[in-house]
Amino acid sequence: MEYISNQLINGICQGSIYALMAIGYSVVVGITGMVTFTHGEVMMLGAFAAYYTFLWAGNNLLLGIFAAFAASWLVGMAVYKVCYEHFFDAPRHISLICTVGFSMLIKNLAQIIFGANRMPMLNIIDNRVYQIGPVSINLLQIVILAVVIVLATVLSLFLNKTKGGIVLRAISQEKTAAYMVGINVRSTAMVGNCIGCGIGGVAGMLMAIYYQTCYATMGGTMSMKAFSSSVLGGMTDVRLSAVGGLCIGVIENLGITFSSANFRDAFAFCFLILVLIIRPQGFAVKKGARP
Amino acid sequence: MNRLKEYVKKNQKMILILILAFAVVFPLLGFEKSTIRIFCRILMYMTLAGSLNITNGYSGQTSLGHAGFFCVGAYTAAIITTRFEVSFWPIMILAGIFAAVVGLIISVPTIRLKGIYLSIITLGASEVIRILALNWQSLTGGSFGIKGIPRPVFFGFEFDSPLKFYYLFLGIALIFLFVSHRVINSRVGRSWMSIRENELAAKSLGVECSAAKMMNFAFGAFWAGIIGAVYAVYVQYIDSAVFTLDEGFNIMSMVIIGGQGTLVGPLVGSVVVNGLTEVLRPIGVWRFVMYAALIIVMMWFRPQGLMGASNSILAGGKVKMKATGKAKRKETTP
Repeated sequence: MEYISNQLINGICQGSIYALMAIGYSVVVGITGMVTFTHGEVMMLGAFAAYYTFLWAGNNLLLGIFAAFAASWLVGMAVYKVCYEHFFDAPRHISLICTVGFSMLIKNLAQIIFGANRMPMLNIIDNRVYQIGPVSINLLQIVILAVVIVLATVLSLFLNKTKGGIVLRAISQEKTAAYMVGINVRSTAMVGNCIGCGIGGVAGMLMAIYYQTCYATMGGTMSMKAFSSSVLGGMTDVRLSAVGGLCIGVIENLGITFSSANFRDAFAFCFLILVLIIRPQGFAVKKGARP
Repeated sequence: MNRLKEYVKKNQKMILILILAFAVVFPLLGFEKSTIRIFCRILMYMTLAGSLNITNGYSGQTSLGHAGFFCVGAYTAAIITTRFEVSFWPIMILAGIFAAVVGLIISVPTIRLKGIYLSIITLGASEVIRILALNWQSLTGGSFGIKGIPRPVFFGFEFDSPLKFYYLFLGIALIFLFVSHRVINSRVGRSWMSIRENELAAKSLGVECSAAKMMNFAFGAFWAGIIGAVYAVYVQYIDSAVFTLDEGFNIMSMVIIGGQGTLVGPLVGSVVVNGLTEVLRPIGVWRFVMYAALIIVMMWFRPQGLMGASNSILAGGKVKMKATGKAKRKETTP
């Protein structure tokens, strides 16, 4: 029983990171209206930016978050310029394949620049374990949960309460109408894409801290988690994507409790396929425009 | 350029026979074994890229996990031929059917959904298939792979050298091209293309979209399975490290660079990409960077690929209605 409850805590913690990935992904997809397969690589670069920041500037979590966010923001701009800007009117598969090509480009360049080896992430948070009743939770997990909750709240406030957020939501709903009321759709879409990528970068950093390693090909599995969570949540809905991420994390950890850890990635995915068979639109209620 | 096109159109059969004769005679000119192996590789990827082109190019569903079906076919053939004393040929067909069934299972939940779900699901399924192959110790040998896969025998004629396999690959490529040509020019193939151009319009004209898409996906997976089985007996040793997502992207880059939506496209793509791989061996890992850059450049300037279908949605929505315009004018003038 204690083992299962501990796995549940692990699942919630990991699920919250997946939730952050999925939030970033659904912001990108929702606002640009196009699909990205570069998200994993963006997250990987965020993790590497944080790695080098920790290496040079010491154990400062806030600085790491800022570095990851900024680096991913810049990559997001490049992704937008290369893969989206010219293809707003073209068939969708063109920008899709363009993002696949871009992700291959970043991954191979990263393997050349950072080397193909796994790098140990510095231990920036004390390894302290708290015992609360039957469950034990360590400091790292608390910090990760806190970061995720704070970021999600800030994003939610930004999207719902500020003018910039309302503009972003407007172009995610209807681009032509947004043009008519005087919104600069292209530059706003770029900002939205960059915000999504930045959040993804922070999620990548948290993932690297959680597993204490970062390497150039880590984007593949992470992007699969982000896809699964966000498809589960209905692709464009930010809140439901977060719920989807939590679900995937918990299911995964409960799954490996009853079998081998080698099947970690398979569990999340089979769960996704089951959900799609029963309920094709994921958790989302709203039908209509979907990428 | 136009005159060249007309000339090709006029003497199509002659040119096809010439190319075929060239393909048959060429390896007999006394190349080294390693060079013949490169030719085998090119032919293998021709069929593989062609089968991906069936889904990506003809029905416009973007599948990204073709390596998964390749893996299913290879493992099916390897497992059965190493455990039982059976002839290879029925197993080859069985591997194809098995891959097609896996393809159906993957596509069924997504086929009703519009958009990119199929891409995401195929991407994930390819990875899950690889994980299963890596971790199902008792069946697939885990990370050690399967060794000692027996060579196929055709009426006492054993395929034991790269040259003989060259002709096997050539034969399969020819059968594949013939069958696809017949299917593409049938009612089914036309319904696939109509779905690619406009699904709503196709539906309103009485095309059963879900059934046609499922059939399309299974057809592509079937050929990937068959070529996987031949690959297994060709290299005689398979392990899961071959069938990564990068392999899938490699196949995809051939389809994109060569051209989508035509039968010639993937053939050209396979020759170009594999040829570049050999030529650029000295620059090592940088060539993967170059492929990626090439894909992006292709999407920017010629989204249908070098030899792709220019008169389709694959070319970026600029469809030229030349043929129909002429036909109308002829009707009105007399």
